[in-house]
Amino acid sequence: MSDETKTEDKPAAAEKEWQPRIIAFVCNWCTYAGADLAGTSRMVYEPHVRIIKLPCSGRIDVSFIIKAFEQGADGVMVSGCHPGDCHYTAGNYHARRRFGGFRDLLEFCGFDMRRVVFSWVSAAEGKKWADLVNEAVAKIRELGPFKEYQKLLAEDIWRKEETNSDRETG
Amino acid sequence: MSRIGVFVCHCGENIARMVDVTRVAEETAKLPGVAVSVDYRYMCSDPGQNMIKEAIREHKLDGVVVAACSPQMHEPTFRAAVVEGGLNPYLCEMANIREHCSWVHTDKELATQKAIDLVRIMVEKVGKNQELFPIKVPVTKRALVIGGGIAGIQAALDIASGGHEVVLVEREPSIGGNMARLSETFPTLDCSQCILTPRMVEVDRDPRITLYTYAEVEEVGGFVGNFKVKIRQKAKSVIADLCNGCGDCWNKCPQKKIPSEFDAGLGYRTAIYVPFPQAVPNTPVIDRERCTKFLKDKCGICEKVCTLNAIDYTMEDEIIEVEVGAIVVATGYDLFSVGKDQPNEQWTGYGEYNYDAYPDVIDGIQFERLLSASGPTQGEIRRPSDGKEPKSVVFIACVGSRDPEKGLEYCSKICCMYIAKHAMLYKHKVHDGQPYVFYMDIRAGGKNYEEFVRRAIEEDGVLYIRGRVSKIYKDGEQLVVVGADTLSDSQVQVRADLVVLATAIVPHRDAYELAQKIGFGCGSQGFFSEAHPKLRPVETNTAGIYLAGACQAPKDIPDAVAQAGAAASKVQLLFSSDELEREPIIASVNEATCVHCRNCIRVCPYSAITDKEIKDKKGNLIKMVAEVNEGLCLGCGACVAACPSKSIQLAGFNDEQVFAEITALGSG
Amino acid sequence: MIEQIREKAKELLASGEVKVVIGYENGGLPETTRPVFITSPDEVDRLVWNKYCYANLATFLWRKEVSSLGKPAIVAKGCDVKAIVVLIQESQIKREDVVILGVTCTGVGDPPLSKCPICDVNTPREYDCLFGEEIPPKTDINKFADVDEFEKKSPEERWEFWEEQLSKCVKCYACRQVCPMCYCEICIADKNQPQWIETSSHTRGNYHWNLVRAWHLAGRCVDCLECERVCPVDIPLSLVNRRLAKSVKARFGYEPGYDTEAPPPFTDFKPQDPEEFIK
Repeated sequence: MSDETKTEDKPAAAEKEWQPRIIAFVCNWCTYAGADLAGTSRMVYEPHVRIIKLPCSGRIDVSFIIKAFEQGADGVMVSGCHPGDCHYTAGNYHARRRFGGFRDLLEFCGFDMRRVVFSWVSAAEGKKWADLVNEAVAKIRELGPFKEYQKLLAEDIWRKEETNSDRETG
Repeated sequence: MSRIGVFVCHCGENIARMVDVTRVAEETAKLPGVAVSVDYRYMCSDPGQNMIKEAIREHKLDGVVVAACSPQMHEPTFRAAVVEGGLNPYLCEMANIREHCSWVHTDKELATQKAIDLVRIMVEKVGKNQELFPIKVPVTKRALVIGGGIAGIQAALDIASGGHEVVLVEREPSIGGNMARLSETFPTLDCSQCILTPRMVEVDRDPRITLYTYAEVEEVGGFVGNFKVKIRQKAKSVIADLCNGCGDCWNKCPQKKIPSEFDAGLGYRTAIYVPFPQAVPNTPVIDRERCTKFLKDKCGICEKVCTLNAIDYTMEDEIIEVEVGAIVVATGYDLFSVGKDQPNEQWTGYGEYNYDAYPDVIDGIQFERLLSASGPTQGEIRRPSDGKEPKSVVFIACVGSRDPEKGLEYCSKICCMYIAKHAMLYKHKVHDGQPYVFYMDIRAGGKNYEEFVRRAIEEDGVLYIRGRVSKIYKDGEQLVVVGADTLSDSQVQVRADLVVLATAIVPHRDAYELAQKIGFGCGSQGFFSEAHPKLRPVETNTAGIYLAGACQAPKDIPDAVAQAGAAASKVQLLFSSDELEREPIIASVNEATCVHCRNCIRVCPYSAITDKEIKDKKGNLIKMVAEVNEGLCLGCGACVAACPSKSIQLAGFNDEQVFAEITALGSG
Repeated sequence: MIEQIREKAKELLASGEVKVVIGYENGGLPETTRPVFITSPDEVDRLVWNKYCYANLATFLWRKEVSSLGKPAIVAKGCDVKAIVVLIQESQIKREDVVILGVTCTGVGDPPLSKCPICDVNTPREYDCLFGEEIPPKTDINKFADVDEFEKKSPEERWEFWEEQLSKCVKCYACRQVCPMCYCEICIADKNQPQWIETSSHTRGNYHWNLVRAWHLAGRCVDCLECERVCPVDIPLSLVNRRLAKSVKARFGYEPGYDTEAPPPFTDFKPQDPEEFIK
């Protein structure tokens, strides 16, 4: 999105009050279906999470998380099937290793780990999904926007040019 | 620039109540690449679908986003609609603004913003979507069945009855498996041989079944519909085509004292032998490790007595290659053999039962042989040590089962029933004898099973003692069984002439090796893993490979037969068309940038990725890369995340698509 | 010791067993060395061995310019051998396709590099010929003392530290070029469909690059310190590398560089792997 369209798009009311922005990377078979169940069960929860569906938590790359922060996310959720339940038998085990290591790296670099939530949510755990979202939103409201990350670019005078050229190539 | 159509559904009031659908359509219409954006009361209705089809034609759309319910609900509907509109189905995506939005939120403004974002994600994704086409894999309509016990026999017969060729491989000289060794079967007490033998003969007669006995699967390559199998036919030293099974050779063989495997060591066989009289095929084999001809180059009597010149000492192992479309694994079980060589180091314990030391402590299968009319005692109950009729027999349940301390955690399932059967049959043969059973619980779940156990207790006077046995020692000619009776809270001692241990059921000792060879999974106890414990109980995780019988878990005969029938019907389903259609959501390798670190090969749960050599015209190796087998890949994408240079990508969820989805939410 | 290395190199080249010996020669300035590629037995006297032999020559094993010469022999310290082990694990080179001229080493640099006091491979674990007296491996060393120390800082302090360090990065990719493990033909940083890692050297792009660089080395980095040595703006890259090494050791009980048969830890799993961070 260029800055121009963005400001046009946003209604005036939303401009006033900051709202948490959370991106969730979830697997198709368990967590996505769990979120569906929360819907069919009409469980009310916070509207700040945007789900991006992948076939399996094993597909989720560390760059997805970094890119989400680059795009202004204040928090990231990663969720897949419980151990033993993976539709593809082992994708969640690989994901678990990967994110165990990667979270340690983020923590070491000073990331507030309350901004990155890893979870197992089964297709039957609509309630758990709703609770996790509410919890994450509450935490991030407390923490406020992820200014530290956002200012990494904001300080940079080349910002505008970079954004445009990104859109051409990406 | 793409030309994407956005179709926002009201779902009656379901969505429209909480999401300002008109605004969603208006806002998303402004997105770059969106050619048309409309909202409608029921997108899934015929008029709704027609709206999409017409819009595709009118606006020359190259992508469609339907903002409605969960794709689990209506993705097939809308993909079918875009196909009718002239688009590839994979150019249609759904934004879930019902289950994930309108149904779970109460702030209309925020819910509407979220809905706009969810549509935006999908608009950006669809812009990167590519046309995908189902992968077609040819199917070889011939099945391999590994193991010729009752499960393998049933599977082979069923598949053959469906009109398909079957290759049945059995490692022993005859088919029949463990069931052939049983005397009578619970809960009906019909003779095992009598119900099994006709099926064995049917296998032999069926022209669609090729039977390899005394043979083993050596190698399995390929994938569903297209397996290439190598079978090692061990040298039988007897030419099957010439032999008529007259028996002169084994009757004249001077090596008469070889413990019979079939009789579990209680009887003897010769060096040239058929394992049992009703063997199928009825061709003998020479046990080269025991035969004097092979050991000392003497004897040669069998060759001399054979009038058909069927004996061939120079015969060699042969490798037979077959192509099959499906594989049924039915390798059955072994018994946890207390105190003897164990296939697994952890299986120790029970030295206190002196199974090895006292000949009159035997296991269940040995007792079956004593009961069997074709067994070493012609069905008379004689104890191994002195051939006397035992007047008191103790049966001990759960030897190895349900005992993680010394044996295995799981229940072997069939022992409670066969103990009741053993005790009952013993009583039928030795009227003045007394059977005792030491047990933990009686598990008799099954049609007429509980009634059967009650009969043993109430009509045949079997004495059940609830408790474990702590030791067995010898006193004169008798054995003293020391145990607890937990119901009367006391120590009991029973003097017995014979003790029968109901040892646990364990996977065949080569099961793990076979699973590795073929490429599917084993659980922690070594039983083969089904794809899903409830919904896919006969499939493995490798497409085209199915399970039948006790190789998957301890099972009795009816369960094994039922599973074999189910596996056979899965095979026939696979064989019902000439080509297999598979979802094109699979991985592919960019050979130009792949550096063959093999990460993808290691993480792939389906062994779908292999090494590939890239050679120049002269055949010199340029480099190694990874290669995806389209027949095996199921599209999880673990390989993509594991690839450092992103040289492997998953169609439908490639990096460009995910990148577009994330940046769709971006602020720059 | 150098005489024996030269003699062996001469023998290997003369017999044709290897086509090139990768070693060190004196650099252009005093107290420096540089990599040398000896292809003729007459040139073996150029080889040197001293405490200025910092470079991890394993990085040359898979480079086309070198591998096209034919089978190599390589002069390798214990730490360099660890890199060779990882390359074998990851099928970048076969064990039988390289002759390892292992040298025992008490540390390089003056003063010794930070990796030397915590080294447990003074005698290489894997070699074809060994030069120098065998030195028993040190025990009771804490490889992660400085990592532990850094972790005592508050998240804010850590963030501030890395923000400052990573803001210096100019994405020259020298760290990648020198790394023996960075053998990808096209690095993720150079792929532009999509462009995961933003190209210009603003701090946000630097974060992505440096996080991914460290991440791609997780469970593989043998801490040869080459990246840190060549970094023109002195980012303490080894610190993040070793944080991940610590994590891999603690979580999966694995240390790279010791076992050519072990699967790399992020391509493997155990059902009971720790998951304390997962809700």
